[in-house]
Amino acid sequence: MRSLTNFAPSTFEERGAAVAFTTPVLAQTRARKDSRDQLEVLVPNLSEGRGVYVVPWKSLPLAFPMTVHDRMLHDLIAKADACSPDDIRKAVLEAARCGLAGAGAVSAAEAALKDDEEQRLLINYQLIVEALKAVGLESTEILRVGLTSAEGQKLTRDLMMKAAQRLALEPTELYGRIAELAVLMESIGLASSPKPARLRRLMRDLNGFRDSMTDWATDNVSEAAPIGGFCAEVAEHTVNHARNVIGQLDQAMASFETLLRQWETKRPQIRKASSRLSWLLDGWEYLILLWSDALTQDRHTQAMAVHDIFRVIPLLPKDEGRANQSQMADTLISSHKRSVRAYVDWRSGQLDVDLVMRIETIKGRAA
Amino acid sequence: MEMRDLVALGDKLLDIDEAKFRQVVDLLERMNDHPDILRTIAVIRPRLIELRLNRRPTLKRLFCDPFEDLFEALGKADPVPLSVIERALMNSLWPLVEAEIGKERLRAFRPALQYGPERKALSEAFWTECAAAVSKIAEGAISGHYSDALELRMNPDRTRALADIATILSIAPDVIELKAALSPKPVPKLHADHMEAIQTIGRRISRARPAALKIFVLLAASRLTDPSVLLSGLWDMDLGQKPADRASLFMSLSGTVVAQIEERSRAWQTAAGGDRMAVADLALHLVASLDATRAAMEHSRNKEFDRRLKDIRSSVHAMVNTQVLQDADAGIVAAIGALDGGSDGRAQLVRAENHARALRKCATIADSLGLRGELREMTRKTTVTLTEKAQQALAGPAGNPRTGYTAIRMIELIAGPAEANKIMDGIMSGGRR
Repeated sequence: MRSLTNFAPSTFEERGAAVAFTTPVLAQTRARKDSRDQLEVLVPNLSEGRGVYVVPWKSLPLAFPMTVHDRMLHDLIAKADACSPDDIRKAVLEAARCGLAGAGAVSAAEAALKDDEEQRLLINYQLIVEALKAVGLESTEILRVGLTSAEGQKLTRDLMMKAAQRLALEPTELYGRIAELAVLMESIGLASSPKPARLRRLMRDLNGFRDSMTDWATDNVSEAAPIGGFCAEVAEHTVNHARNVIGQLDQAMASFETLLRQWETKRPQIRKASSRLSWLLDGWEYLILLWSDALTQDRHTQAMAVHDIFRVIPLLPKDEGRANQSQMADTLISSHKRSVRAYVDWRSGQLDVDLVMRIETIKGRAA
Repeated sequence: MEMRDLVALGDKLLDIDEAKFRQVVDLLERMNDHPDILRTIAVIRPRLIELRLNRRPTLKRLFCDPFEDLFEALGKADPVPLSVIERALMNSLWPLVEAEIGKERLRAFRPALQYGPERKALSEAFWTECAAAVSKIAEGAISGHYSDALELRMNPDRTRALADIATILSIAPDVIELKAALSPKPVPKLHADHMEAIQTIGRRISRARPAALKIFVLLAASRLTDPSVLLSGLWDMDLGQKPADRASLFMSLSGTVVAQIEERSRAWQTAAGGDRMAVADLALHLVASLDATRAAMEHSRNKEFDRRLKDIRSSVHAMVNTQVLQDADAGIVAAIGALDGGSDGRAQLVRAENHARALRKCATIADSLGLRGELREMTRKTTVTLTEKAQQALAGPAGNPRTGYTAIRMIELIAGPAEANKIMDGIMSGGRR
């Protein structure tokens, strides 16, 4: 038996991607592919000790009673048969839009999809501007007439033809490269973007989480304090890694001409960095919201939230960091074990209505 | 600055960041016990408690240390002490105690505020003098009359509170020991070490000051999440009393506990308003207290208490029946219809979801309240109507899937995920998903 905190995965794929289930015991458990390329899920030990249940994906509804929302999400992920953070997010938003997790989750999912759409438009425009700038062409005229107008599109086509000529590329090839780059950079955005994209916002929020958790753990005498300190440390390492990755991507975007000319060499690097960033920040959004919600509550609730965060905290895989976070987490297990939480109502043994409601409320705040 | 500004400042202080809040509290503490400052402190007290600020030690705070657990509860969720002391009474009392003891003498007690070898002895001596002073002040305060010294009308509760303060101060070292044993407050469950500590200290008080035993037990109860928990342990506890005294103490505590439950059960009519979840939560807590009290009273078999407990149970029964069960189906189903009605529709939906959750919560106490049949019928009726709605929306040709899924969600909130999944599977296997 291994535990999510003492089991030390070597890669992100081995760690799995967090799934935003609303069933308390399954919230933020991780999905991954097994050696036979079949989906499976890692559920942390129910007694908060060492060990993890590795459950085949298709058996999950048999092993744990799930909410209707989770059954739908389970089906969607099974149908997609993919478990990267982006695949999981797509399924999570689709399930939330149905209304099975409440009206708040519907609004949040719709807002997130709208934001994705806006970012897609924005990054496309910005990349075209960058491409024109890279070959010394002026793009302000496009902005004046509007990118989406017929005149604007004609102007863009003409300018892009010129840009392709200067780069010694076929226009379709240039368009293809920019379209692919837009897909890769959609969730990250450009450093110059007027509205930071999702992962940049998440990194900023994680930074805030780190500061807030450090403040909370300092001068705190509760048993949760060292666990809070550890969570802040994991957040710090993650932010540092994420900052490096974003730095690399921003650097690549700053030399846009080189990027377009050396596309075959640079494309895998951009793809890898973009994927690595979404893996690095995967699972943090829920934890950040959980913590910000706990900060408005009393100290005991805050200590319980720290234990909840520790239970599913996304530790960096061994290949990513020099420090072995799993070993560090192992030393805290004895304190964590004392906060065993009943994930069901003690009176009836059924799903705890209040816990599910809390998870749904947090889901409603994610956008 | 005027009083109004200070109270307004208090409201703002609840929202400013923690570092600034600490600075302002420090400043406020440096100012004297001016009524405006006290009022501001009262407004921000919930945040002071939440942050557990290490406030500047003062003799007034040391004076309150033994009986502070009996101060009125601040938050709705905080346990209510069985015998309440008003903060206003203490604020009026302290200047009189200061005057009674004298400034010179009080200065000699100041080292008790710092860590040091003489701290314990000095604190104990301080409390002894305070007890004598409060007893003397209490003699001059006649129930039913206005006390010029305290600037308060002395109702029976205040007269009783003054006597309680004097008694508690006279056993202050024992109370401090009790507070250490029952920490951190509130204690949700009494363990063997808690019981042993209460028994040991209680026996000591029983020998030295038998009259103080009751208030000591009330103090112990005030440190628990639910004071009725102490009742069950108290019967088996040997506090060194004669059997008659023991029975009398048990009856007295039982009476106080029952009165408190009665008070809480009456509060719903004004407090709960239209919030069905708050009603369900209150009903759950009241039934837990009722069951614990009823079990503890098996020993006493007092008919009067039995009758009062039955009355409370009837009141909770009526509360759940009228606030949670009645018309639940109409409200929940209507919200599904108003789903596409914009923001107002959404607010209605949230209310209906809370109503559905309240129904589900009350399922755990329906047996105990004799509402099992009514609840089962209401659940069945609502589920059938919602299933029809879901069927039309999800399997019909022109249905709105969102309406269908919301109906399924309502079924889940009322009847649980197993039932909702079964209905969903039934609909989906015959139609689209």
